[in-house]
Amino acid sequence: MPSAAEVKSLFRQFLRVGRKFPNYNIRHYIQRRSKDEFHSLAANTDAAAVEAAWQRAKSQLEVWQRQSVVYQLYGRKVKTVLELDQAAAARQHAG
Amino acid sequence: MALFRASEQLLANSARKAAPWLQSGIQILQRGLSAQAEPAEDEDSGAIEMKGIRLRGAPIYLDMQATTPMDPRVLDAMLPYMVDQFGNPHSRTHLYGWESENAVEKARQQVASLIGADPKEIIFTSGATESNNMAIKGVANFYKDKKRHIVTSQTEHKCVLDSARYLQQRGWDVTYLPVRSDGRIDLGQLADALRPDTALVSIMAVNNEIGVRQPLAEIGALCRERKVFFHTDAAQAVGKVPVDTSSTPIDLMSISGHKLYGPKGVGALYVRRRPRVRLEAQMSGGGQERGLRSGTVPTAAVVGLGAACEVAAQEMAADHAHICKLEQRLRDGIMGQLQGVVLNGPEDVARHRYPGNVNLSFAYVEGESLIMGLKDIAVSSGSACTSASLEPSYVLRALGVEEDMAHTSIRCVAARGKCKCNSVSTPASGALGVEEDMAHTSIRYGIGRFTTEEEVDAAVAQTVSHVNKLREMSPLWEMVQEGIDLKTIQWSQH
Repeated sequence: MPSAAEVKSLFRQFLRVGRKFPNYNIRHYIQRRSKDEFHSLAANTDAAAVEAAWQRAKSQLEVWQRQSVVYQLYGRKVKTVLELDQAAAARQHAG
Repeated sequence: MALFRASEQLLANSARKAAPWLQSGIQILQRGLSAQAEPAEDEDSGAIEMKGIRLRGAPIYLDMQATTPMDPRVLDAMLPYMVDQFGNPHSRTHLYGWESENAVEKARQQVASLIGADPKEIIFTSGATESNNMAIKGVANFYKDKKRHIVTSQTEHKCVLDSARYLQQRGWDVTYLPVRSDGRIDLGQLADALRPDTALVSIMAVNNEIGVRQPLAEIGALCRERKVFFHTDAAQAVGKVPVDTSSTPIDLMSISGHKLYGPKGVGALYVRRRPRVRLEAQMSGGGQERGLRSGTVPTAAVVGLGAACEVAAQEMAADHAHICKLEQRLRDGIMGQLQGVVLNGPEDVARHRYPGNVNLSFAYVEGESLIMGLKDIAVSSGSACTSASLEPSYVLRALGVEEDMAHTSIRCVAARGKCKCNSVSTPASGALGVEEDMAHTSIRYGIGRFTTEEEVDAAVAQTVSHVNKLREMSPLWEMVQEGIDLKTIQWSQH
């Protein structure tokens, strides 16, 4: 049974791998889904389900970490237009 | 001179942040009439050049019905079998074969769990096209002594229609059932079409062009009652909407890997064992896959399909909620800001349409120009405007043939008071008798697991702006705005 601190730490690791993922769509997917999953995990009282979800989450984290490397190696070098527009808007805000 | 140069630079810098077309305009001003060659590549503009078009970046992908990106979890499952665990699953004598076989059987179990089947009922193929061919030709050839008739629908995928035509050329009768205006088949018509010598009914579960869901349980029950096999092409349905072969009387079902975030080039065919469905094999060889599909089973691809099915089973509810939300956002965004837009297919996403498929028709806009203008989003056009004939697709055509529509046009236009599009219902627009060849366009937006709200908002903005731009240039639109009844116009020939 994971402690609250362990769950928080795993959650933060998910968000970190989400932020680092090179692909825009997967990045947002990880961030969105991990928030949903961890919030529902926090609300869940069934011990067996929580334990199963915890184990699944730990193995999933490793999958995302490995794939983040693969996507860095083989992902498209050119960004999507959405990212370009967002970057341009950010530069305008800053500049 | 220095001042001029400085201000030029300032202009150029601000232009770099603005649209690329402005930037190239600035470049022309800077160069004046010099014969100097244009700079080949700029950091912002023209990052990709293909087919004569300069793209500043990769477009937003909204074509999930064509194919879906592979989920990283699927890729992760596949990679070991493309690196060190490369054995042939049919090699019985060494570790490489054994571990490959284990992987294939595990994948088979994963696919079976998703659709409520037994692993022995799953045959791996090269994709839904092969599965459809196997089902239709296989069943027909096996029962050709006693049966002579096949029933399918007009909106099926090309591979189903082509297989039916292949059988027609060999003496089979085929009934192509029409569909209603929302794309669903009429169960009464299906019941009437069934004959004592009908071997198979093939109706797809979710249509790839408009997303309409057919009533599989009712069709299956009808077929079971009349002792006819029921095949469904569930390529767009599996992993997205719940499909359960243990509770629904489906005899054969085609599954496609790359429609559910899996790899391309792999699929499966579900063949029911109780009551047994017999097939004649289309691929001859060493008798793999229970003799129904010979050929080495591609371990890595099949593992990917299995992993995709497992992920889909876990994520189905969350995906559905997310996609419904985005679908609402997309439709409200476009239809709230534009008139003359019609949804092709049923509106009800809870039961009758898969929400990830939004096929919209835009009146008074030319197909080719709209697609060319939507460079920043990757969508598909419902009309086969890429074909030389500029004809609407056969699926959309099948929807448009409606008795209570008072004229020959498609979709958007309807008899008085029944107009589905939200243009002003004046008596003139009540007879918006826009003919087929007059400026009608449909775009299919495909929303998926990885689509974000920002992407949907960007798609809405681009669509609305481009449709408005094209309509401003359209004389038909001007006339409609003035209230002229287009059907009364005498078009002159020069």
